[in-house]
Amino acid sequence: MTRRTFLKHCVSAGLGFATAIGSRELLGAGAADDVAPYDGPYYVVFNASGGWDTTYLMDPKGIDGINRLYEQDEILTAGAHRYAPTAKLISEGMSNEDFFSQYGTELLVMHGIDLSVNNHTPCSRYMATGKLDSVAYPTFPALVAACRGAQSPLAFLTFGNYSATGNLVPMSRVPYLQSLNLLAKADFVQGNERAPYHEPFISDRIERALEDQFQTRVKPSLLPRTERSESMLFAAQSNSKTLNRIVPFIPKEVAKKRLHQQCDIALAAFKAGVCVSANLSIGQFDSHNNNDVDQMKLLPEFLAGIDFLLKKAEDLKIREKIVVVIQSEMGRTPTYNSGNGKDHWSINSIMFMGPGISGNRVLGATDEKQLLVPVDPKTMAIDAQQGIRARPEHIHQALRELAGVADHEYCDQFPLGVKADERFQGFWRSDSA
Amino acid sequence: MLSYWSPPHFPPQRLPLPHSLTPGVQVLSSRRIPYRFCWRVIDRSSGFSVFLLAIWPLTGLPTFAADPPAIAAVDNNQAGSQGNRSGCDATSNSFENAVWAKIGEAICLRCHTETGDAADSEFRLIRPRSVTDVEAISRNGEAFWKLARRTEQGESWLLAKASGQVEHGGGEAVVAGSTAWQVLESFVRRAQASDTLPDNLTSDVSLDSSSKWFDGVRMISETQLLRRATLSLAGRLPTAEERASVVQGGAAALDEVLDRVMTEPAFYDRLKEGFNDILLTVGIEDNAETILSYDHFEKSRLWYQRHDLSDVAEEKQERTRWELARVYREALLREPYELIAHIVGNDKPFTEVITADYIMVSPYTARGYGIYDEIKERFKNPDDPFEYIPTKLKALTGRNGKTQESPTGFYPHSGLLSTFHYLRRYPSTETNRNRLRARMVYQHWLGVDVMSLAPRSTDATAVDAAYEIPTMQAADCVVCHKIVDPIAGVFQDYDFEGHLGPRKEGWYQDMFEAGFEGESMPASQRWRATQWLGERLVADPRFAVAVVEHVYYILFGRKPMLPPTDLDDPYFIQRRCAYRAQRMLIETIAARFSETGYNLKDVFKSLIRSDFYRADGIDTASQRPERVAELEEVGVVRLLSPEQLERKVAAVFGKPWGRLNDSLAILYGGIDSLAVTERNADPSGAMGAVQRMMANDVACEHVAADFRRDAAQRLLFPTIEPDVVPGTAAGDQAIRSAIVYLHERLLGREDSLDSPRVDQTFQLFAGIIHEAQQTEGLERRESYYCGGRDEYRSEDPHFTLRSWRAVVTYLLRQQAFLYE
Repeated sequence: MTRRTFLKHCVSAGLGFATAIGSRELLGAGAADDVAPYDGPYYVVFNASGGWDTTYLMDPKGIDGINRLYEQDEILTAGAHRYAPTAKLISEGMSNEDFFSQYGTELLVMHGIDLSVNNHTPCSRYMATGKLDSVAYPTFPALVAACRGAQSPLAFLTFGNYSATGNLVPMSRVPYLQSLNLLAKADFVQGNERAPYHEPFISDRIERALEDQFQTRVKPSLLPRTERSESMLFAAQSNSKTLNRIVPFIPKEVAKKRLHQQCDIALAAFKAGVCVSANLSIGQFDSHNNNDVDQMKLLPEFLAGIDFLLKKAEDLKIREKIVVVIQSEMGRTPTYNSGNGKDHWSINSIMFMGPGISGNRVLGATDEKQLLVPVDPKTMAIDAQQGIRARPEHIHQALRELAGVADHEYCDQFPLGVKADERFQGFWRSDSA
Repeated sequence: MLSYWSPPHFPPQRLPLPHSLTPGVQVLSSRRIPYRFCWRVIDRSSGFSVFLLAIWPLTGLPTFAADPPAIAAVDNNQAGSQGNRSGCDATSNSFENAVWAKIGEAICLRCHTETGDAADSEFRLIRPRSVTDVEAISRNGEAFWKLARRTEQGESWLLAKASGQVEHGGGEAVVAGSTAWQVLESFVRRAQASDTLPDNLTSDVSLDSSSKWFDGVRMISETQLLRRATLSLAGRLPTAEERASVVQGGAAALDEVLDRVMTEPAFYDRLKEGFNDILLTVGIEDNAETILSYDHFEKSRLWYQRHDLSDVAEEKQERTRWELARVYREALLREPYELIAHIVGNDKPFTEVITADYIMVSPYTARGYGIYDEIKERFKNPDDPFEYIPTKLKALTGRNGKTQESPTGFYPHSGLLSTFHYLRRYPSTETNRNRLRARMVYQHWLGVDVMSLAPRSTDATAVDAAYEIPTMQAADCVVCHKIVDPIAGVFQDYDFEGHLGPRKEGWYQDMFEAGFEGESMPASQRWRATQWLGERLVADPRFAVAVVEHVYYILFGRKPMLPPTDLDDPYFIQRRCAYRAQRMLIETIAARFSETGYNLKDVFKSLIRSDFYRADGIDTASQRPERVAELEEVGVVRLLSPEQLERKVAAVFGKPWGRLNDSLAILYGGIDSLAVTERNADPSGAMGAVQRMMANDVACEHVAADFRRDAAQRLLFPTIEPDVVPGTAAGDQAIRSAIVYLHERLLGREDSLDSPRVDQTFQLFAGIIHEAQQTEGLERRESYYCGGRDEYRSEDPHFTLRSWRAVVTYLLRQQAFLYE
């Protein structure tokens, strides 16, 4: 049975598998150690968990009391981008001024995304998967990991936020940088490379015995769940051996900021070729009380994390291979509540940058009341009369196309239902419309 | 007259239909459907249609095979369903499986009920009380049938309404041309073709026939079930006596063993851990003592800061106080689960989980509440921070001297509903207004995910703008808020942090008033609002079902199935059938649970005895894809959690591995109850590395050490000595016997000496010995770390210690050890 045949069988039976069942051949090479490192592109989704205030970032208003910290005439621009001034308002982190001046030319912003609902759980699910009414769908990073490199031991890294995998690929949580060292040296006593648990020939025999045992277990008498679990387990253990590649890229110093720590783990995994995608997240954006105080603390921290990742990626020489998605599960209301907070708002914005994405562009819009303005999907121009309401499924359809997986059988398994004439054209590149 | 529809990528052409096709059918439709190689043939006399699947191009002309199940279902076609020979065969064409499961239950039932938004509609449906509520489904089928027969200006009223072509409060509930539309269209055609109500409105799967659904599924033996149960419930292997009793007494004896297991402390540890996986109340961000309010417990909640430590050396006092605080906090966080343990351990009705008029406190937590001196005589050991006893708090008095209203003089306890832990774990805000708490009440105690009720709004922001109070006026909002907001109002006297503290401005007027499911809470009940709610929750039949689902989650490590929703799934019928079979099990156990006094132990026993829990394999006839799809959720097959894996290592080797804690536990798919709240169901590469570490390390620690004991004291190698090597009949026999023993102890396998599995393990052992003999320069002693962590290194002249260590490593990495 070929890997593809096997996978097709699994899909037809409704079973998702992180990697193929059985033999070394199905794992793509001889020994698992020989599996080629995943070489990109890498996908990073930054989540501002809790709901960001877009008007203090890339969709500034400054009118009708929508913002208390600046007026309309103080709004700044960087190329096509308009953004809220924050440099004088923050005590640490990265200001909008610095962020847009450094990355504006690479940045694609989409405004006016309609989430249809305004609760955390469904909104998180919707933004992460492109599907509102199903808990079965995988998040974009999980989907792309499954399609492009499921045999990587840390194919889909997640640090929180909605992380469903659709049973296509296991999620990996690596809470601390030091954990990577332990994982990479699992066959050595206390991680000491001079003290292997077994003689090399014994280790080899154990691995071969496990493979033989696995091969003979894969037979029709197994329950579907057992068959699936056998495959997942064999793949996990086999693929884990390539984790030793990560050792040279583990930073000696542990970063102090929470998002920076996540970035370090993801970057080491990318550079080692053992990871396809990472879901990074910081929380507490749900600013029902004292919105401005909270957002002015969190947004700069969030941007600083993005900046940290991109700069370190440059040092590691993988910057040009990283696709970055910057999002939150919802926006915040155009009015303040009695606690100086802002509540949930179902109109959202999102930002992207990376290979295949033309920057210095802003698509979609919200009006002066922070309401959505429809867009023409064929031109991505604003069209209040004939346009459509952009929703997460449109964004995810475009993401699948950007990643080159839109025709993959896993995407067929989780269709987004976007009509052909509603698919965004020229979304990623202004010259491809 | 016969004609046909051919696949879209082939030019339309006339092809001969198979001779076996029933004469007299007329092909009417050429609707494009999402399947290739299909012919759709419709019998005008009956309205039934057939989808014919071509096996192409073996003969040059199409021949015809069984219909894809989903297509058969789409068209309610009895004649076409021959592909599935399982228990679902006879049910695939009923109104229930086709129209009800796909549209009625999933879409129409949201509003078209007595209390729904479309209560005034003439199209009124009944919400079935269970999956076996045949009467309700039949009556709903009749309602559909009547509406399907009605036409206006030549158009079906059912289709026109569903698609929003005529005024419909629910708008475009079914998109024209979609699969759901096709289902309805087919139903309409059948209804309009016959004046007689169809006789196959409901599925014919009944409780009596449910066991047939497991035909072809192999079950584990009673002794294997015993091992699975004792490991799951108490983290230990069965004793020889228990095993003997089950061998002799079968299922009845197993029940008795389970009764004893459920008296063991380890069972209660598992029970508490399992319920925290569901309720997550351990996940509190601040120090645990902050769940006790400053207003009411100002002088007591930080007792550890003032506790007399004069009997502790001065240099140790600071550290001692830190430890005091740590233990106190842990004791506080344990309280909700100690309540559950108390209820179950004393065979009290489990309804007390949300109705108990007491809480559980320990000597340490009693100090936090400021009641230690009153009750200290009741503790067996006042120094034990984790000895819990039931008690009642007096009505709380604030710093202003005002005592909460309470005719009884006591705080109105209502099990977990009124604990500060539960309320704190699910906090509120000025705009959330206790809705998170209400949502959790529905989820935890009625098994209802209110978020799933939320329909997609065409324009949520426009709704906000169009209504003064959208949550009470806009249909899109009201559908959820009229359910959630009354319960939110029940908690109105608790503040954002879960402390007793009514809102100064009074409860919100722009919300549905406090109550439950249409019943308003009388003002006279406000002082005991959570008790009022708890009484209603436990009287609701959904409570028992929700609790059985919790136990299912604890035993299986996953939630019970949800009904399938993908109408284009070719195995929709099979998944629906599996869902029904599982629901029948859960509802049956729930009914017995409520009828017999809500003893939670009975739920554990019932689920353990169930075919879903005992399933272990399938026979050849069950390998058809549709049958495989049906059986996807059958069996436990659960990746052990970090805690379970540690317990299993302890059960087999005598002590836990001891490294699956904190960050390594999270890495191995564990939870922290706050940021990480769901356990990994599948192992990642990182987890695979942890498994390798564990297998290497545990084998290293225990193999040589086990051989150092007297044979009778050994856990792993009681029947063999390190000087036995392969190559002689006696030696091989002894080694195989030792392997059989290891297979049973580590993997729970009941293998014979000559089984293929034993062969594989033997080959590993013998192969290592052989290669070692051929290799120069190998040490004649076990390694320092694996053979001499105690006082000496183990001699290993025959290389058997290291070979057995390899065998144990190999077994520890197998699915049978790492999964339940």
